[in-house]
Amino acid sequence: MASTSAAPPASLEGNEEVDAEKHPSGIIPTLQNIVATANMGCQLDLKAIAMQARNAEYNPKRFAAVIIRIREPKTTALIFASGKMVCTGAKSEENARTAARKYARIVQKLGFPVTFKDFKIQNIVASCDVKFPIRLEGLAYAHQMFSNYEPELFPGLIYRMRSPKIVLLIFVSGKVVLTGAKQRDEIYKAFENIYPVLNDYKKQMGPAPPGALSPADAQARVAATSRPSPSEKPPEPMRIQQ
Amino acid sequence: MASMELYRRSTLGTCLEATLDELVNQAAMTPLLAVKTLMHFDKAFEDALRDRVTTKATIKGHLHTYRYCDQVWTFVVENAVVKTDNQEEHVDKLKIVAIDAKFGQLASR
Repeated sequence: MASTSAAPPASLEGNEEVDAEKHPSGIIPTLQNIVATANMGCQLDLKAIAMQARNAEYNPKRFAAVIIRIREPKTTALIFASGKMVCTGAKSEENARTAARKYARIVQKLGFPVTFKDFKIQNIVASCDVKFPIRLEGLAYAHQMFSNYEPELFPGLIYRMRSPKIVLLIFVSGKVVLTGAKQRDEIYKAFENIYPVLNDYKKQMGPAPPGALSPADAQARVAATSRPSPSEKPPEPMRIQQ
Repeated sequence: MASMELYRRSTLGTCLEATLDELVNQAAMTPLLAVKTLMHFDKAFEDALRDRVTTKATIKGHLHTYRYCDQVWTFVVENAVVKTDNQEEHVDKLKIVAIDAKFGQLASR
């Protein structure tokens, strides 16, 4: 099945039907959260909504929106007096749209002249597991342009991919979180871009003594010492504003 | 000075209101005195709950509905089991109305 792709896919472990064209890594990131906005096109009386709708919270002192939740699709909506809404928590684009429509319907049933327009997905978050540990220091060094790795602040490496414009959180464990997408294909593309890189920085497991360098590690060190940096300035570690 | 009128809908509260109504109707009491009595009841209820009740209750069940509006939480719990120190009560539907204790104290001052 992976005969067309150069790199052999990672173990599928029972995942059947992976489109090798689109997912040469053999891993499909799972969508975890979708944030969408929509406009109901009319002014709303938030207090009236909070009093009548079920599962509503309204505390104007703390936040200027009514917070409503529904169970199917399990989502949360912020509804503003302007008639705009933010719907979060959906696991797919279709779910996000269905949920936003349901919220509009709830508001409509309370007697407001609701229309459903300008539905737009604002962010998609996905996650997956490459199932091998990763040497984040090495990766951060080699991809300085894109990486921010500050283990004392956050255990994951923050990787800002330029194209597609996606932010990835990469953890030592091999777990990866991808965010910033407006379309799921951007998530998939970003993951396929990063997967070969992660493979290069796979942490070598096994009986090697703790101080020993893996071949890839050694290569990275040689590269690091022999040539200071492609740019004029020597590489500078990320500085923290004190 | 105004206390919460939350507990007037308790069994004790409704009974007191009924009695006061009767007394007012019989002209045995002025309406003003009845209102004052109720206000005293509000305060006494709050004080008693705060200072004298040590029993703790736990409620378990499936949350059907919740609402938070005007600093009042409302919960409807399905298949609720209310446990106090020595007894257990099962109800199909339980409605809880709750306000911030601090809010009550502020209001009663």
